[in-house]
Amino acid sequence: MTEVLKIENLHKTFGELEVLKGIDLTVKRGETVVLLGASGSGKSTMLRCINFMEIPTSGRIVLQGQAVGTENGGGIVYKEKELTPLRARVGMVFQHFNLFPHMTVKQNVSEGPRTVLGLDAAECSGRADKYLHKVGLAWKADAYPSQLSGGQQQRVAIARALAMEPEIMLFDEATSALDPELVGEVLETMKELADEGMTMLIVTHELGFAYTVADRVLFLSQGNILEQGDPRSVLIHPKEEGTRNFLRGHGTFRLPEPQLD
Amino acid sequence: MEYTWDFSAVLANRQLLLLGVRNTVVLGLVCLVTGLFFGLFVGAARYSRNPVFHWPATAFVEVFRNTPVLVQIVWFFFAFPIISPFEINAFTAAALGLSLNTTAFCSEIYRAGIQSIDRGQWEAAKALGMDYSRQMRRIILPQAIRRMIPAFMNRAVELMKMTSLASVIAYGELMHQAKTISTIEFNPIEMYTAVALIFFALIYPVAVLVQRLESRFRART
Repeated sequence: MTEVLKIENLHKTFGELEVLKGIDLTVKRGETVVLLGASGSGKSTMLRCINFMEIPTSGRIVLQGQAVGTENGGGIVYKEKELTPLRARVGMVFQHFNLFPHMTVKQNVSEGPRTVLGLDAAECSGRADKYLHKVGLAWKADAYPSQLSGGQQQRVAIARALAMEPEIMLFDEATSALDPELVGEVLETMKELADEGMTMLIVTHELGFAYTVADRVLFLSQGNILEQGDPRSVLIHPKEEGTRNFLRGHGTFRLPEPQLD
Repeated sequence: MEYTWDFSAVLANRQLLLLGVRNTVVLGLVCLVTGLFFGLFVGAARYSRNPVFHWPATAFVEVFRNTPVLVQIVWFFFAFPIISPFEINAFTAAALGLSLNTTAFCSEIYRAGIQSIDRGQWEAAKALGMDYSRQMRRIILPQAIRRMIPAFMNRAVELMKMTSLASVIAYGELMHQAKTISTIEFNPIEMYTAVALIFFALIYPVAVLVQRLESRFRART
């Protein structure tokens, strides 16, 4: 399988605070990788470095075999001219959806293809219909974001990212801002994408989702990858004390299997 | 006290009053357009992180926001010609004072309007692959301008009222025309009553429109 993304020795510092302390990661085409970790462990920062919403302090990001930036005396220089088209190749879904409130659902989805990719009106419309249909919201095409539930808004945001036909999708706590009853529909959409072979890197707190959908789970702690492997080995048989404490914290209160019939 | 109102002298001088109305509107519009135009650049400069742009723009805004417009107009008419090689007539002095004042306030409206847009909007646009100018044009400005419009219209109302200050340097706007006529006709009561009514008729429709827009904006968000 080909490597879509390769991260080498990624460091990120905010002022005095070192958030990422040397991350290495390779993501192959079609792979679903889930990042777990306590808040402040660097999960979101790592995700945001991949599409250069944050500029890495050092280290290298390689997308489809091409290293981003130009080497310059030990460091790497990033030019906005190089980063802007690169971001169009990486889809991102945010915790707070960030739909454009002054546009309809369909306009939200066709905005990227139209203004960034420069496709003609018919193609943009076709793409918008296709991806809205995929997330099950074709019937809301003419609604405004404010008329949708949180779960619907997040599915539109997923369609908006998909319409760019990205090489990899990044999900930054896509369900954290949702009411519990709306989480399921978004996770379901994400699972369908994973099943169809989309390459995905997902930051989430939904352990059940990670267990069911991930090909690989990474556990981040204080800016390092503490443990990684298939979901079963990391989530059920964690080796590291840090991972165990994290999982214990998540399982403090637990229902017995509900009898729903 | 018995007073017999007599508006006949007002009507007899309506040509002079209409000229005043015309001059008031011209002065107001000129200052509004220049204020809106230059305000965008001053606002952008204040928004800039580059100190070469930021500090002069900030100083400009603070000076014009924190001194009376009347003082600005009088200063441009009496003081500015002495320290500069320019001849300045009453219209130019009034237009300078009012335009620069309006520029200062408009720049703040632009800045506040853009800053009121959630950071997530910039991020979503950036993540789609838009460069800065596309983010601004397609995503930020369309939302920000909607929020700015009521504030700009309020500014326009304030500006129309402030044009009457130009009467102190004898620019022939409505107030000055009325003052001149009333000293000839000895009818200050009717004259200034007429001026108040004319100003009200000019400004009230705009004020109503502002209220409508503001409540529509509130209803949407």
